[in-house]
Amino acid sequence: MSHFKHALQIRHVDAGSCNGCEQELTALTSQAYDWQRFGLDIVASARHADALLVTGPTSDTMARPLTHVFNAIASPKIRIAFGDCAAGCGVFENAYAVHSQRQRSDLVIRGCPPDPEQALDALRNWMQRSRDSADGEIPRPIPNDHDQGSQEAD
Amino acid sequence: MPKSWIAANLEYKKAGYELLSYLATREGRLHATWLNPVDREQKDVSTQVVDNHFPSLTRQLPEVAWDEREIHDLFGYRPEGHPDLRPLIRTPRWPHDFYPLRTRSNIPPQWLDVEPDNPAKTVTGDGITIMKVGPTHAGIIESGHFVFSLIGENVLYLDAHLFQNHRGVELLLEDRTIEDVRRIVSRICAGDSVSHQTNWALAVETLARWTAEPPLALRRIILLECERVLSHLNDLAQIPAGVGFQRAHQLALAIKEYWQQGLKRLFGHRFLFDTVRPGEAAATTPDDLGALVRELRRRWVPWRRLVEAHHGFNDRMAGVGIVKPQDVTRFGAQGVVARAAGKALDARSILPLYDDMAVQFIQESAGDVKARFYVRVAELEESLRLLEESARRLRRWGSNDSSPFIEDPSDLSGRTVTFTESPHGLNVHDITLARGRVTRYHIRAGTYRNWPLLAHTVPGNAVADFPLINKSFELCYSCVDR
Repeated sequence: MSHFKHALQIRHVDAGSCNGCEQELTALTSQAYDWQRFGLDIVASARHADALLVTGPTSDTMARPLTHVFNAIASPKIRIAFGDCAAGCGVFENAYAVHSQRQRSDLVIRGCPPDPEQALDALRNWMQRSRDSADGEIPRPIPNDHDQGSQEAD
Repeated sequence: MPKSWIAANLEYKKAGYELLSYLATREGRLHATWLNPVDREQKDVSTQVVDNHFPSLTRQLPEVAWDEREIHDLFGYRPEGHPDLRPLIRTPRWPHDFYPLRTRSNIPPQWLDVEPDNPAKTVTGDGITIMKVGPTHAGIIESGHFVFSLIGENVLYLDAHLFQNHRGVELLLEDRTIEDVRRIVSRICAGDSVSHQTNWALAVETLARWTAEPPLALRRIILLECERVLSHLNDLAQIPAGVGFQRAHQLALAIKEYWQQGLKRLFGHRFLFDTVRPGEAAATTPDDLGALVRELRRRWVPWRRLVEAHHGFNDRMAGVGIVKPQDVTRFGAQGVVARAAGKALDARSILPLYDDMAVQFIQESAGDVKARFYVRVAELEESLRLLEESARRLRRWGSNDSSPFIEDPSDLSGRTVTFTESPHGLNVHDITLARGRVTRYHIRAGTYRNWPLLAHTVPGNAVADFPLINKSFELCYSCVDR
C-alpha cells in the first residue's frame, strides 16, 4: 500500500519565521480553505503526525528542537519546507544564527509567505503523487532551482 | 561620567519622556534616545563603555532590563549592578568568546555540541509543580519557551525564554546598500511589516533631508492603517480561540481572509510586504479603497454584535490578566496593552505624518483581557474611519504625484532614530549609515517591553488563563527575537 493516500497529519515547528507562514497556515485550517476536507490537519503531538512542517530558516536555537520533533514522528514520515525561508532562499539566509545546511525536504512549498491556495494545491498534488507511486514508496522530492546543493541528495 | 549617565536618563523618565532606543555600538558607545511626546524633541544621552563595563540603569529604570541583557549577550559589555544578568539571547551553544555585534572575526561561529536550553528560574518548595511549555508547540504558533511555577492551578512565577528565533537580523543588515535593506526590513515581522518598512523609509528620507509630500504621506497612512486592520483582525480572532469560542474565532478569520484578499488585489501582497520604500509607497484608487472598506464594515458589524452580546465570552475576559497602571510606567509598556491600562501614548499623536488626520485615540482603564479586546475593536473602527477619510482625500487630490526622491542616495551618512505606531505599539529603528551603507541597525519593536510585563502579569492568575492572557497581549516573537 502507498502511504498518506487519504490523510496527512502535520506537526508544525517554527524555526525562525516572521509569523507570515504561521498566519497562512492558520488560514488553511479556517473555513476559507478548510484543508481538513482533504485529510490535512495540524496535530498537537509529533506522535500523531505523518509530517513535520517547518517554517523559518532554522535558527541555531531551534535546530535541535526541530530534530527532536522529527525523531519523535513515527516512520514513514515526511518533511515539508513551508515558505522561502524553510526552502533555503529567504531573506535571512546569511544571518549568523541561521543554519544554511538544512535537511532535505520531501516537499518544498515556496512563497514569502506561500499563498494558501497554492500551498493547498501543492499539498494535494503531493498526496496524489503518493497515491500514484509504487507500493510503499514516498514520492521523491520535486527538484527545485532554489534548493541548496546539499538538498540534492542523489 | 557614570553618575550623569544614570541621572540624565532618570530625569527624562521622570519628565514623562518615552524611551525610544537603547543603542550599543561596536565602538563602545551607548546611546539612550528619549522622546518628548509633547514638543516631539528627541534627546540623546550617551556614555562610553570602559573596559567592557558600564553602569546599569536597570535598578532605577526596570524597563531597560532586557536591553542591557541583550547588550551583554551580543557585545559582551557588562552592565554593572544589573540585578539579573542571566543570558537572554545567548544559549549554551554559543562559543564563550562569540559576541556577534562586537567582533566579526568568528562568524559564523563554531556552535558547541550541546542543547540550547538555558537554566530556568523557578520557585522551589512543597507542592510546587514546574510546567514547561515549548519551544515547539501543539498548534500553529511562533516558538517560545515558557516555564511556569505552579501551586495548584495558580501561577506563582513565569520564566519566559524567548529569542528561540534569533537569527541575527541586525548584523545581517550591516554593510548593505539602501536598496538591499528593504526586502529584509519588510520581513522582520509579518504583523508589523508596513511599520518597519515606514521606519526605514523615514530614516533614509530624514538623512537625505527630504520630506514626503501629502499624496505620498497619505499613501503611507493608508498602508499603515490597512496593516492595523489586518493585525487587529488577527488578534481579535485569536482571543475567542483562547476560550474555545470557535464561532467568533472562525468568523473573524473569515473577515481577515476577505481583508487579505483585498490587500493582495489593491497592493499586491497579503501582508503588504515590499509596499513602502524611500520616496515611494504602493498606491490604490479611491474607488477600490472605498469599496474594500465598505464591504469590510458589512462583515464586521454583525461580528461585533455577536461578540458584544455573548455574556459568557465577556464574563470570561473580565478581571483576567490585569495590568496595573504603575506597571505600565515601570515596564515602559506600549501599544494596546498600555492603552488598555490607562496610558495615553499612541505614536500617531507624535508622528508628523498623521498631523492633519485628527486620529481619535482609544483608551480603557481596566487593564484586563476585556479592555485589551475592546481597545482593539475601537481602534479597528477608527482605522476604518481613517481609511474612508483617506479615500475621500484621494478622490479630491486626483493622482498628482510627489516630487521624486533623490536619485542617488549612495552618499547618505549619519544616525537617525525613527518610529511609527505599529499594530503592536511604538516601533523604533535606530539607524546609522555611512556613505550609503548601513553601519548599525537597531530594532526596538513595539512588543519588546511588553514581554517582561506579560511575564509579570501572569502570576496570580490560573494557569488555564495563560493562553487567554497571552492572546490578549498578542506579542510578536519575530521582531523581538530578530
